[in-house]
Amino acid sequence: MASSDSSGVINSSRMSGLAYLRRHLKHLLPLTAALALCVSQGACQPGRRSDRITVASAGRITSLDPAQASTFGALQLLSALGDTLYKRTAQGELKPALAAALPEISDDGRTVTIPLRKDVLFHDGTRFDAEAMAFSLRRFLEIGTLNYVVGDRITAVETPDTYQLRLRLSRPSSSLENLLTATNLTPVSPKAYEDHQDRFLNDRFIGTGPYRLTSFRAVQQRLEPFKRYWGPLPSNAGLDLIYLSNSTALFGAMRSGEVDVLLSDSIDEDQRLALNRMASEGRLREGQGPALVIGYITLLSNTPPLQNPVLRQALALSLDRDLINERVSRGLRPPLLSLVPPGLPGGNIEPWPRHDAARARNLFIQAGYCNGRVLHLPFTYRSNVPADRLMALTWQAQIKRDLADCLSLKLDGVESTTVYRQLGEGAFQAVMLDWRGAYPDPEAYLAPLLSCRESEGSVCKRGEAAISGSFWTAPGLEQTLLQSDRSRGDDRLRDLESVERMAAAGAAYIPVWLVTPRAWSSTALATPEFDGNGQLLLARLQGVR
Amino acid sequence: MGRSRELLRYTGTRLALAPVMLWLIATLVFLLLRVAPGDPVDAVLGSRAPEAAKAALRARLGLDQSLVQQYLDFLWALVHGDLGEALINQEPVSRIIREALPASLELSVTALIVAAVTGLAVGFTAIARSEGKIDLAGRFYGIGTYALPPFWVAMLAQLLFAVTLGWLPVGGRFPPGMITPDGSGFLIADSVISGNWEALQGALRHLVLPACTLGLLLSGVFTNALRLNLNRSLRSDYVEAARSRGLSETQVILRHALPNALLPVLTIAGITVASLIGGALLIEVTFSWPGIALRLQESINQRDYPVVQGIVVVIAALVVLVSVAVDLLVALLDPRVRY
Repeated sequence: MASSDSSGVINSSRMSGLAYLRRHLKHLLPLTAALALCVSQGACQPGRRSDRITVASAGRITSLDPAQASTFGALQLLSALGDTLYKRTAQGELKPALAAALPEISDDGRTVTIPLRKDVLFHDGTRFDAEAMAFSLRRFLEIGTLNYVVGDRITAVETPDTYQLRLRLSRPSSSLENLLTATNLTPVSPKAYEDHQDRFLNDRFIGTGPYRLTSFRAVQQRLEPFKRYWGPLPSNAGLDLIYLSNSTALFGAMRSGEVDVLLSDSIDEDQRLALNRMASEGRLREGQGPALVIGYITLLSNTPPLQNPVLRQALALSLDRDLINERVSRGLRPPLLSLVPPGLPGGNIEPWPRHDAARARNLFIQAGYCNGRVLHLPFTYRSNVPADRLMALTWQAQIKRDLADCLSLKLDGVESTTVYRQLGEGAFQAVMLDWRGAYPDPEAYLAPLLSCRESEGSVCKRGEAAISGSFWTAPGLEQTLLQSDRSRGDDRLRDLESVERMAAAGAAYIPVWLVTPRAWSSTALATPEFDGNGQLLLARLQGVR
Repeated sequence: MGRSRELLRYTGTRLALAPVMLWLIATLVFLLLRVAPGDPVDAVLGSRAPEAAKAALRARLGLDQSLVQQYLDFLWALVHGDLGEALINQEPVSRIIREALPASLELSVTALIVAAVTGLAVGFTAIARSEGKIDLAGRFYGIGTYALPPFWVAMLAQLLFAVTLGWLPVGGRFPPGMITPDGSGFLIADSVISGNWEALQGALRHLVLPACTLGLLLSGVFTNALRLNLNRSLRSDYVEAARSRGLSETQVILRHALPNALLPVLTIAGITVASLIGGALLIEVTFSWPGIALRLQESINQRDYPVVQGIVVVIAALVVLVSVAVDLLVALLDPRVRY
């Protein structure tokens, strides 16, 4: 009885407690609803629009120093804040920018004289002249993290006149003019960089470009037109460049109208396709630049099984680029049959063979495979690059369809940093990579893949070919490659063709696709335009009247 | 021994152990980074840089020294409060942390408030409708929010509220084109202090989506904790005793049942804050929130050893401090706690 009573008391007491809560809940719910309403009302879109233009990309910028910058985003920003001696137009024509005319090259090809413009000011008001250009070039050669791009070509920088620059070269170099369009060689104000001659200045930039930097943070930069710019003033009232860390956020920001212009450097394939469709439907504008990024496969040629060139050629024939282009990018990554992008000299030939499963089978048979003996080949792709993964999956399925009795691909996803670290150690039998030359010239594509300083037969022991993970070279290749940088005009084209044909025969690299830079803008803006270096012309962004 | 002396001794022990814990963590991070494949020199120069250039940079960064020497240099600098410079751009690590930490703290604290308010409200509602449909919904809410993958929810929230409805920004911390108020780096506080209401509105708009997403995902823990503990408290003898003394129901709940039910919730809040400081990575990545977790992820990808080491040590120090503070608070509030 006692127990029952006790239990009954507890239950009734608890019920009264719950009844109390219920009573007060009536007041709590409307209060919560009112609070939520307040927050949502406060959060609704404010009027953001101004006559400034917001440009989004995935490029977090850690350094604005031309001697240090290497990421796409940093170089894109520097191209708006500074000028180079020469610029390449979208049509591939070399035009003077800070230079007053095209360079004069001595008969022996070892002295290059560049006349400079006399009406250029830095953003700090100081004058641009030969001393300023020499200061910037010497600084880059001294501390530039990418100074190996220039290599040992420039032996001295001289200033014979206030507005004349002279470069002494160790050897004649036909790629030098295009090298002088590289954003890393953008001049900086000697006065502003007085204390940074031998170290980087990461969060400021004093150049000569159409914009000056008024606010810098790694994730957001504010640019204002430079009123005393020597060339045409920007067509807009100013720019805000913002960084968003992933493709979905970039895509969403463009779709919702939160940003005015979007750069394509880190957009996933499906979202790139969706933006492309929106542009075809007239809901956005799409601009394209020259395709300067190549996607290619590197084959390890110094160890079995791929040390057999017949097998490498069979692999090159087995790749159906049209199918991959269609499946991976719905036609947005055109097939590539050369190591040099088509817009550059020497890039209009197609030395690599097209897909031919029958010929590939014959070569596999010749190498002792098929008819019961299958080559199991590990194929590595960068796991943090969605397009590479799709490419690997598609090629694997296509091989299964065409050559299942001869070849089987075993896919292996590895993070980029690890891939690049282990590439030169010969860790990958076959690996999918991409490459963008530091400047728009065939030299910047062929030398980093094929150059070899020390070889033994067709094995490269030391040099770029070893660093690239192929370890492949051929007799006479290095000489022809060097010759292609010495010769000019048709002679150069012939040399470049020879290099490419040798590389295609060796098949240590298989070009896969081309990546075209794209930018999308809202319909309130004109179509974005690119220069010949694949950089968006930010100063030309403008509203449509 | 008196309770206050006991508490003092406990505090002293915890604080004395903190440097040992930090040393262990710093050592572990140092070793793990060196074991991981990838070379910071490649990240700076690119894999195609000539060996001579790589060797020169390696020497400049001190990476050519023996591992033991690198470790000793790292520890020596650490005890002197020097976290070093980023390999990528030679920016002081302390400055990187100073810039990124306020963003993470702002997000974490707001998310915690959202989590606590929502979680406790749902838990309170559920207990009020105990054993009914609302209670069941509360249980589902508690388990569901905890079980949902954060990146998936974050992307859905982003697509719905930013892309489709256009109510809130997709990502970032501050509106483009607006000048950020100078000050501590806590944008909301800085905007209020400087009286810049437009900046405040911009900062709040950017904070709503990530903070609510993170807060709602964490709120289930609070819901479950409150529901279970309040339920237990309402059934306990001391509540009965309080009622038998003639106290009103408001007094019984507010003075007796709720404080006891909230003690475990306080511990959970402490653990949550500690884990949030470095653990909101997926939210920061999805919403491009420029906090310390996003910076940590980028630095790991770049094998930027000093930045990773510095961030981990600072996060560890904060976690230790927060957990000690919570333990002390619980001990102060709950006389039953003994050490």
